[in-house]
Amino acid sequence: MLTTFIANSPILASIFITLITIATYQLAARCQQKWQYIWLNPMLISISILVPFLLLTEINYQQYSDNTQILNLLLEPAIVALGLPLYQQFKQIRFYWREMTAILVLGITVVIVVSFILAMWMIKAPEIAVALSLKSVTTPIGITLTEQLFGDSSITAFAILIAGLFGALLGPQWLSFIGINSAKAQGLAIGSASHVIGTAVLVRKSAEHGAYSSVALILSAVLTALISPWLIPLLQQLFN
Amino acid sequence: MNNVLYTIFVISISLLLGKLANYLLAALPASLYGMIIYALFLQLNWFSAQKVTKTNQWFIKHMGVCLVPAGMGIINHFDLIQQHGLALVIIIFSSTFILLTIIGYLSERFLITPDNHKTITNNIAQNNTKTGSK
Repeated sequence: MLTTFIANSPILASIFITLITIATYQLAARCQQKWQYIWLNPMLISISILVPFLLLTEINYQQYSDNTQILNLLLEPAIVALGLPLYQQFKQIRFYWREMTAILVLGITVVIVVSFILAMWMIKAPEIAVALSLKSVTTPIGITLTEQLFGDSSITAFAILIAGLFGALLGPQWLSFIGINSAKAQGLAIGSASHVIGTAVLVRKSAEHGAYSSVALILSAVLTALISPWLIPLLQQLFN
Repeated sequence: MNNVLYTIFVISISLLLGKLANYLLAALPASLYGMIIYALFLQLNWFSAQKVTKTNQWFIKHMGVCLVPAGMGIINHFDLIQQHGLALVIIIFSSTFILLTIIGYLSERFLITPDNHKTITNNIAQNNTKTGSK
């Protein structure tokens, strides 16, 4: 029924499907605000509602993505808007940005290499390997970078989600277990590994945890964007 | 309302310059150049950070919905998840923990921040007074 609707009146259908997506997301976001569970992630909930919806109404992914073009177009200005937190962190980190950049560059390089090699070894699909190696950044930037490097961005979106949940749920305990207890180190580690999801959890511990976590989140996104366009093609050559 | 238009204007200009930078230099995606240019505009005070803050925070709060269509692509990957689901989880899990450990360890050990800079200088001051009293 909906598929004929899409064929007959494309504009209305596209408004309808976009509105359904927005409404589902808003509902999920409200639920998380109300109950505050980490796993009640709005994106995770929206996708698990919308996938059965598409399967039931027999809309395929191509049709869905064509009809939600507008949301995809808004992604670009949304990423530009992340420049404000970047600017706010400039002031915070100006005393020690050199050390912090060095630490993050090292961590990011290791994690890209490790994930890429593991993925090539276990799954043997280059576009999946690219997607998995870009999973330690905030979702909009991860998706954009994956598309630029011809990876599969839906895998990136999911991998980022899972990495975020792992780090948020187990990260603080793991760090305490290996004897890393300062707000500075915990914040930076969780911000760079689990981005926004981890930061949202850490803020509850202390404001200092949250501040370091958001510094790491934004700085590691910029650094990954600078490192990956030359590191990943290098790794791809290695496996050719 | 003025501030909303102002924010949209600044973001659009930054994105436009980002597209230009992407066209000339390649390497980074246009939106990331835009993000850096936007941050520089605010840093250099060419545009007022105070005016954009409110609208900008609203954008960031609701940007998640723009990511749903990308995530929905998973619908084409059910066979991949069936076949390699465990491998995917192992890779994500292990590399996340490697990253946590590296960053946590290095920053605990080597990062000098204003707060432990203070304790270090305090220690030096204390040592000085100690040696001075001797």
